[in-house]
This record gives sequence, C-alpha cells and structure tokens, in this order.
Amino acid sequence: MARHTFHDTQHTTDKTPDDGIVARAIDLTKVYGSKDNEVTALNHVNVEFRRGEMTAIMGPSGSGKSTLMHCMAGLDTPSSGRVIVEGLEVSSMNQKQLTDLRREQIGFIFQSFNLVPTLSAEENILLPLQIAKRPIDRDWFNQVVKVVGLEKRLSHRPSQLSGGQQQRVACARAIMARPSVIFADEPTGNLDSRSSREVLSFLRDSVRDYGQSIVMVTHDPRAASFADRVLVLADGNITRDMQHPTYDEILEVFAGNDDDADNIDSVTATEVAQA
Amino acid sequence: MIRIGLRDARSHFGRFIMSIVAIALGVSFVVGSFCFREMLDNQVSQMMSTNADHDVYVRGSQEKKNSSAMSMGSTKSYNTIDTDLADDIAKIDGVSSAHVIYGLSGVVLLDKHGDAVTTVGSPTLAMGMGKSEPWRSAKFTAGTWPKNGDEIALHSFAAEQSKLKVGDKTKIVYPDGARDVTVSGIFTTDASQAGAIIIAIDPATAKEETNQQSDDPDKASLISVYGNNTTPLTAEQQQQLSDRINRKLPKSAKAHAITGDAYRDESTKSTQDALGFVQPLILIFAVIALFVGSFIIANTFSMIVRESMRGYALLRSIGASPLQVFTTVIVQAVLLGLVGSAAGIALGWGMVKLIASGLSNMGMPLTGATDPSVSDMLIGLLVGLVVTLIGAALPARNAALAPPIQAMNETVNPEKPVHMRGIIGTTMVALGFLSWAFTYVLASADGNGPTPWKMINDIAVGWPLGIGAALAVIGVIVAGPAYVSTAGTILGWLPSKIFTVTGRLAQRNISRSKRRTSNTAAALFVGVAIVSCLGVVATSAKASVNSLIDTGLKADFAISSASGGRIPDQAIKDIENVDGVKHVVSNRVVLGVKYDGKSVSGFTFATQPELFTKIFAAETTEGDAVSALKDGKLLVGKTIADDRGWHVGQKVKVTAENTVVDEQATAKAQADYQAKVKAHAQELQTQAQQMAASGDMAGAQAKAKEIEQYTDKAKNVDPKTLVKTKKVNTKKTLTIGAIVSNSVYRDFAIINDDLAEQIGNKQTMFVMQAYVTDRRGSDTTQVKKAIKKAVKKYYTISVFDRDEYKSTMSSMINQMLMVLYALLALSIIIAIFGIVNTLALSVSERTKEIGLLRAIGTSRGQVRGMLGIEAAIISVFGTVMGLVVGVSAGVVIRAVYAAKGLETLAIPWQQLLVFLLLSIVVGLVSSISPASRALKQPVLDAVASE
Repeated sequence: MARHTFHDTQHTTDKTPDDGIVARAIDLTKVYGSKDNEVTALNHVNVEFRRGEMTAIMGPSGSGKSTLMHCMAGLDTPSSGRVIVEGLEVSSMNQKQLTDLRREQIGFIFQSFNLVPTLSAEENILLPLQIAKRPIDRDWFNQVVKVVGLEKRLSHRPSQLSGGQQQRVACARAIMARPSVIFADEPTGNLDSRSSREVLSFLRDSVRDYGQSIVMVTHDPRAASFADRVLVLADGNITRDMQHPTYDEILEVFAGNDDDADNIDSVTATEVAQA
Repeated sequence: MIRIGLRDARSHFGRFIMSIVAIALGVSFVVGSFCFREMLDNQVSQMMSTNADHDVYVRGSQEKKNSSAMSMGSTKSYNTIDTDLADDIAKIDGVSSAHVIYGLSGVVLLDKHGDAVTTVGSPTLAMGMGKSEPWRSAKFTAGTWPKNGDEIALHSFAAEQSKLKVGDKTKIVYPDGARDVTVSGIFTTDASQAGAIIIAIDPATAKEETNQQSDDPDKASLISVYGNNTTPLTAEQQQQLSDRINRKLPKSAKAHAITGDAYRDESTKSTQDALGFVQPLILIFAVIALFVGSFIIANTFSMIVRESMRGYALLRSIGASPLQVFTTVIVQAVLLGLVGSAAGIALGWGMVKLIASGLSNMGMPLTGATDPSVSDMLIGLLVGLVVTLIGAALPARNAALAPPIQAMNETVNPEKPVHMRGIIGTTMVALGFLSWAFTYVLASADGNGPTPWKMINDIAVGWPLGIGAALAVIGVIVAGPAYVSTAGTILGWLPSKIFTVTGRLAQRNISRSKRRTSNTAAALFVGVAIVSCLGVVATSAKASVNSLIDTGLKADFAISSASGGRIPDQAIKDIENVDGVKHVVSNRVVLGVKYDGKSVSGFTFATQPELFTKIFAAETTEGDAVSALKDGKLLVGKTIADDRGWHVGQKVKVTAENTVVDEQATAKAQADYQAKVKAHAQELQTQAQQMAASGDMAGAQAKAKEIEQYTDKAKNVDPKTLVKTKKVNTKKTLTIGAIVSNSVYRDFAIINDDLAEQIGNKQTMFVMQAYVTDRRGSDTTQVKKAIKKAVKKYYTISVFDRDEYKSTMSSMINQMLMVLYALLALSIIIAIFGIVNTLALSVSERTKEIGLLRAIGTSRGQVRGMLGIEAAIISVFGTVMGLVVGVSAGVVIRAVYAAKGLETLAIPWQQLLVFLLLSIVVGLVSSISPASRALKQPVLDAVASE
C-alpha cells in the first residue's frame, strides 16, 4: 500500500497539471572548454519527454546525446537554459536537492559498473530505497524480480553474475523505487545481442505494463527500435524526432555514415592518444 | 624517462605530502635517537674529563663479582685499598698530590633565603677539596678554596641556584646535622654538571662525614693522583707515572695504578651503557613510523600508478621498455625519499635541541653536543631512501609489467588468499602466550622450579617474557589479514544496526583488501600494545603501593630524610616530644653485618617490636614477628630465607666488623697530649722564671704571654684529632625467630635494638626511617604541623601523612605515565596518517562505486558516514588487538615481578576505555579528508561510460 500512497502524493504535488510531460529541456545549451577551444555540446535544445513513453536518444559520438541526458538527470549543469523534471527545476538545484531528486524522481541504468560489488543482487535492488529510508514493498519486489527473471540469483554477488544478469539487476533496481523517469545510458552497450534483447524487452514491458517513463541513450539502432520515440542529435541539435520508427527507418537515418557508430576500439585509441 | 618521472613527481607533489611527512617522522626518530644518544654520551664524557681529571688512579687489583642485583651497566668493582696508601704514593717521584677524594651525596645546601636548594633528579654533592687537594678542572671566578670546615666553595651552577656570593653565610646540612658556613669562593668547570649542585668542602670535614657512614673508614676504592696540580699530563706521561707507581706499590697493598685516560674511558663507557636503554625505546617508535611510512608510500604510488596507467600504456605502446617505465616511477620515489629524509634529519635535530633546551629550562643544563654527526645524517638519509624504495617497488613493478589492455579497465585484481597467514600468525600468537604462561610458572615457582630440568629452571624470566612478547606482536601482525573479515563483522555489527545501509556497506568494504586494512591497523596495534602494557604495569605498581599503605601501614606519619637517609637521633627525640604523638618507631640501619659469613641482599636494621604491632601488620611465612623481636631473635625477609634455605629455629652465626673509638687508646693519646702540653708549659714556665730571676722582666712577661697562648691553643685543640680507632669484631649466634614476607622487608634482616647494640656500634648506626602514630582523637593536621615545626631545624627531614606518602610513590609513576601518553600521542598521529592514506587509496579505487551510490540517491552525509565507519572499524580493530596483547603482557609482567613490589594487579579499565573511545574518534577524524576527496569527484565523471 505504501507504494500507492507514495505514487499518489507524487502526482498531487505536481505543480503543473498533468500535461503528459515528465521532463523537459528549455533552450538548453552546454559549452565545454575555454574561450579558445570551445566545444558546443548542446546548442539551444528544446525537448519534452512524455510520461509513460520510452524515448531513445541517438546520434554519432560527439553529437551531445550523452550530455543531454546528463543535464536532464542533474549529473551535469547546463551552461544556460533550464531542465525541469516533474515540475522541479533541476538546473538550479543544490547538492541536497539533487540527492532528494535522485531518491524520489530519477532512476539510473549505466552502461557498466551498475552494482555495488560488496552487496548481493537483492541488496543492490533494494539499495536506493534503503538509502532513502523508504519502506520496501515486498509484493512489488517479488513482481519485479520475477519479471527480470532473477529469482534464483538474489543472493549472488555481482561478480557471480553474467553481464546480462548484472544489467537486469540494474534494471530491477531502477524500477524498484518507481521513479518518475529512468535514465539509461547505453544500457546494452556491453551486452551480447541476446542479453540486450532481454534487457530492452524488460524496459519496454515496464513502460507498457506499469506506465514507467524511460529516457535511453544508445547508438545501437536495434536498441532504439524498442523505443516509442527516437530523437536524433547531431552537433548539439535535434535533427530528427521519430514516433515509433521501425528498425529499418532508423537504419536509414544513419545510412552512409556508418563510421560514426561508436565502437570500443576507436574510443580506446582516442583516449590513449589523449593520455 | 627520468625527465618524465621528475615531471610526474612535480604534478603529484600534493599527493606526496603525506608520504613525506611519514618518512620525515620516521627518519627524525632515527636521527633524533642517535643524536640524543650522542648528546648524552658527549655530556657524560665531558663530565668525566672534567670531574675525573686525575692523571693516574690507583684502585684495587682484584676484580670483584658484582653482588648487587641492582647495579646496571657494566661497572666493574674492585677490592678496596688502604687509605694510608695515598701518603706513600704522594712520596713517589713525579706525583704532586695523591688523595682519596671523599664525596658526600646526601647533603643539602641552603640558599640565600634559608631554603634548601633543590634539583631535578640530579644529586647535591659535597666534595673534599682544598688548596692542598685541589680540583684541577675547577677555575675560581671569585674567592678561593675553603680553608676549614667553616668554609665552602660553590660551583657556578650551585651559586646561581642558591644566589649565594663569596662572603655570604649560609648553612650546609650534612647527614648528621646542619653547619654554619661561609662561602669562600665560586668556581666554574668546562662541562656543565647536568643540574648537579657541586660544593667544595674542606677535605678533613669530608673525610669525617664520610667515615660516619662507612663500613670501613680505613679503606677506599680509589686514590686519585695528579702528576701536576695545574696542567694535565699527556697520555704518555700518564703512562709513565702509572708505571712508576705500579713499581713502587707493594704487592700486599693489592692495589694497581691505571692512567687517567683508561679510567675515564672505562667509566664513560659504563655510564653510557647505563643510559643506552633510551635509544632502543625511541627506535621502536621510529620503526613504527617507518613501517607506516613505507606502507603509505606503497599506497600513494598504487594510486598514482593506477591513475597514470593509460599514460604508461601509451609509453609502452610507443616502445618504452618495462624497465624504463619502472624508472619513471622509481625516480619519483627517490625524490620523495630524499625530501622526506632531509626534512626528517632537520626535524630530529630540532627535537634534540628542543629536549636539551627543555632540560636546561628545568634546571639541567647540558653542554653535550646536540648536532647530528655526518654518519647520523647518512643513516637517516639511507633509512628514508630504502623505506621509500621498498614502498614504491611493487607499484612501480605493476606499472612496468601491466599489459596495456589491463591498464584500460578498472578491475581490481582479487587478493591472494590469507588463510596461510592466519594459520602461521595464530600459531605464533599461541606460542607467544604459551611462552608467557611458562614465564608465569617459572616466576611463581618456589625453590626448585616448575620442571625437572635444572637448565630450564635456571632460565632468566626475561627470556621467555621477551620471546613471548615478540611472538605475540609479530604473530598478530602476520595473522591480521585473516581476521579482518571477522573483525569487520563484529565491530561493524553495531554501526550496521544503527546506520542500516552505510553501516553495512562499511562493514563489507573493510574486508575488500584485507592486507591493507590489517597493515593500517598494525601501526595503532603496536603503539597501543606498548602503552597499554606499560599502563597496566604502572597502575599495578601504584595500586600495590596504595594497597600496601591502605592495608599494611597503620602509622599516621612516615618520617624520612631527604639527604643520605640519615635522621639524627635528636630529631627522633624531638618528634617524640611533640604534643599528640603517641609512638615513634625508628628503623636503625646496622652496617657491616654478615650472616654465616655473607651479607644479605638488603641490609640489617634494628627496630622495636611496635613496628609489627603499631605500624605494619606483620606477614610471616614462619614464626611470629612480634615475639621474635621481643625475644631477641633474628627476623629475616622471605627472599633471604629462600635464598639461604633458612627456617625458624635455625641458628645463624652473625658477625660484624666495626671500627670503634678505642677508648683506652684515645684516653692514652689525650693523656699523652696533656702531658706533652704540661711538660712544654712547664718548660716555658721554667724559662720565664729563669728570665725573671735574671732580671729580664720584659722577657719573662713575654714568656708568660706565650704560656697563656700555648695553653689556650692546647685547650682549643680539636679533640677529634686525638681520637684513636680500632677494629672490633663481634660474633654472636642468633636463632631465627620469624620469616617476614611483607613486601617492603623481604630483603632485610631485622633485629631488636638491644641486639643491635651488642652486634653493631652506636656510632655507625643511623635511623633511616621512622613511623609515627598519633594519640587517638588528636587532629592529624595539627600534629603534622607540630612535627614539621619540630624537625624544621634539621632541614632535610620530610614528614608525610598517609596520603602524601602514597602520592610521593605514585607521582613518580605518574611522571612515567606522562611519557607514555606522549608516546601514545605519537603513535596515534602516525596511525592517523596510515588510515587517511588507506582510505584515500580505497576511495580512489572506488571512484565509480561511490559515483554510482551518489547517482542512486546516497547523500553526501551518507558517503561521509560510510567512510567514517570504515575508518573507525580499522582503528578500533588495531586498538582492540593492541589492548588485548598489551594488557596480557602487562598482566604477565606484573605476575612475574609480583615479589618485587607489584603485589596487586590493577588494570586501568577507565584508561583502556578512553583508548577505545579515542580510537573511534581517531577513525572518524581520519576519514574527513578522504571523504572530502571522494565527494569532490563529480558524480558524472564517476559514472560516465565514455
């Protein structure tokens, strides 16, 4: 019951009447570097993310897709413009408010290193609730665990789980607190195609079955095809906004610039060069 | 490659600060300990060359076995020689003076205001010196040598302390009473006297006072010879002179001459050896500091290496050899080691300077050199460098050998298992405790020892005790990592109940790198173990004294003398006459008593039966002390009885050799003198009469005046010069009446006053300690005041009531405890460095994890809390291990030395609890800076996948 109470309050305290928007960016700009070598990662971006939808952000590396997500999630501060999540202005929050925001409104799934290595799968899933000292809804927990198929793995440490299993634990953890929006940063980046499919299906199901809002950054057209909406960024601007695109439609957008697709080797090469 | 290393070092300088401080601390202790030792040595040899500045010394030719268990160092003792020998030696060619130098150590000098001049632990010495027996090193700045017993000369430090000037009148208090004297001169010496008050007194007075306390006034241990009264002889001349003296010395004298240089070397060495214990104590802490230092360096370099891995991978990929990469890291270590060692040398130097100036402020000026020698500095530098290189070697190797691919991902290699260390360490600890148990059995066994093997029974208890301690300490350090998980579970239980999430995370983090956690805790472990062990011993010593006084001592006051332990008989009478005093029991030392031909380890004293009825409750293993005393039987301490195998009823032959005034001879000498005076006067009288008869009235008158003067002079002649002494041997057979086991009397033989007078001689006996009971119902403070007033005129007599008596005993122990706390503070500082560093490393390893925690809603406070709990668990882990080992060691030491005054075991629980609470604080404080560093890291950097 506690869950419902929480969920209800969340909606009633919303400042804006439910216009179906869970998060929005208004005139968002992010500039890196000093005057001499400025890099504009986001160039006056305006975007709204709708409640109960899975939105994929795509784009070549350096297009600003990750920066957009980080600014939306309060992990990075924009140079100008505003970020609003559930009617709260993220871009002007202090550390304490950010902590509260993370506890109540936002869930995260990262590409790798999603789990605390000293804690078991179950403990990892329950960690956000315990950190926030919120009551644990056992029914919901059992349901989530069953959906991600981890019933038999709950007492395992992350090191005893496969990559796909680890990522499913991360999904379960993100959804356990029923945040307003889950930000997923390349959640399938390190997974094989079968595990990727499992994780993405789970994310899609949670949107369909429980009305969860998800924003996912990916460079994989296959992953993006699971989304309800696909935004494409290039050079800090949104160049395409597609509703329910098919895999082929997405591929088409990127046709001819395959070399932009990220791969581990090229990242490594650049970074070694930087170091 | 070296250039890259230097550039890296510059950019990492901030990281290095903690390592530099740790190395500097360790090196400073090493250098400081050597430097301090050298300062003491230097002071000792300076003082030796000033204070023992004779050209040749003549001493006994037969080395004696050292019978006294109390003597420390390597002092050899020789047979005593006849004092008369000095006169014979003085006649030898090339000898300008030869004397027995009489020194009195228990004197008190009164200052300008009539108060006793006090020192900090250094003695007040009155030395027999004069124009005919000068001290070559003394240079008079004003006045000259004392001419007779009414004059004294003061060393400049003594003059300074007493504010006396030449011509001032004051009092000097000898063991037998105060004497009015005039200051005849003030002299300086090249070496400072380390706070001692040196007074030059007339040699005849010095001899007389010394003889009163001596077993055998006709014997001395040393005759000091000058070849020249103003300039020292060269080594060659000394050798020639001593050879000449040796040729002339009769074989029967059992004497042998050695050069002054040889004598000085010998005594310098033995004094230095006696002071040598200070250095190892300091070095223990140097080792702790360096251990932590090396460990901090290893951690720091692990961090640096991890952070620079990509750079190293790049270097490797463009063709750098592993050795070249290794060099870039090692160059930084060398630089760090050099800076740290240099700082440490300066710090150590400063510490010794500070100690020296502190001592001089306290009234103990030292002239010993405080500057470190080149070899000290080299040792410091070498130690610092080696420790740094050891610390950096492993991380540097990792940097050099890690394949480029591994450098890219952040996986921490799993630790090697720690079971083996657990087994080895635990075995060592168990053996250590076994060794202690054996020590205990060995020490508490009566007579024959615990085992059937004599060889084992004869082992000195120090060996198993020390081996046990070493095994326990090293064992704990070895086994530490194996117990980290258990410790984390136990110690983390409470925090994980209070702070469910952070507590549990901290609890698990503790066992992630067990070796590191355990090594960090080890610094605190060793420090706490030493301090808590000594704490237990000190507290037990205090408690033993207190319980002795509380339960054993029934007297209201204890009376003792500050100087030489002698209380004048008149003082005892004065105390007896004080209003409110009911009873005075005086313990009178009887010198020169032997039992079956051997002396006892303590000494013999005479007392009244009231000692065991009114003052101490007698504890006896055999017989009844009170009736034995009354019946004129011998009482012996338990130690002596055990030693000799004596039992009640046994008869013991008691002999005493006393030098007494030969009444007959003295009377004869006086009569002879009188007769001589009379004859001379008669002769003068006759001359006068003849002159008068021949009409020389003026001559007759002059003669009459001469007669008057002569008889006056004869009257004024010091009768002491006419006293003749003789040796009297008394023999008596006594029956043992009781064996006393009161801890204070275990080493003594006790007889009653009547027996004492039959055995000993009244002149050489003196009261050393007296106890007073007051009349029931009288006001103790009033009585104390009255007693104090009554003995004020003796200057040196102290009156203690029960509480004061206790506190005089415990204040010494408290001082020792203060030193301990200083050491504890030191080990805490070092331990804080260790914990800060370990946490910093662990935070840097867990950047991503902490970022993740922050991203899913962990507040800053929760991160701080988690690290705080981790740090607290580490420090409590170390402290608890230290407390367990230290207290156990203390308990064993207490048990072993129970017979030597540590009767009561007292564990300072309160103090130990404070240590424990302190360790929590230490942990929390240590976590502040690493936590801040962790929180400074933006969450984004930690979690971003690109």
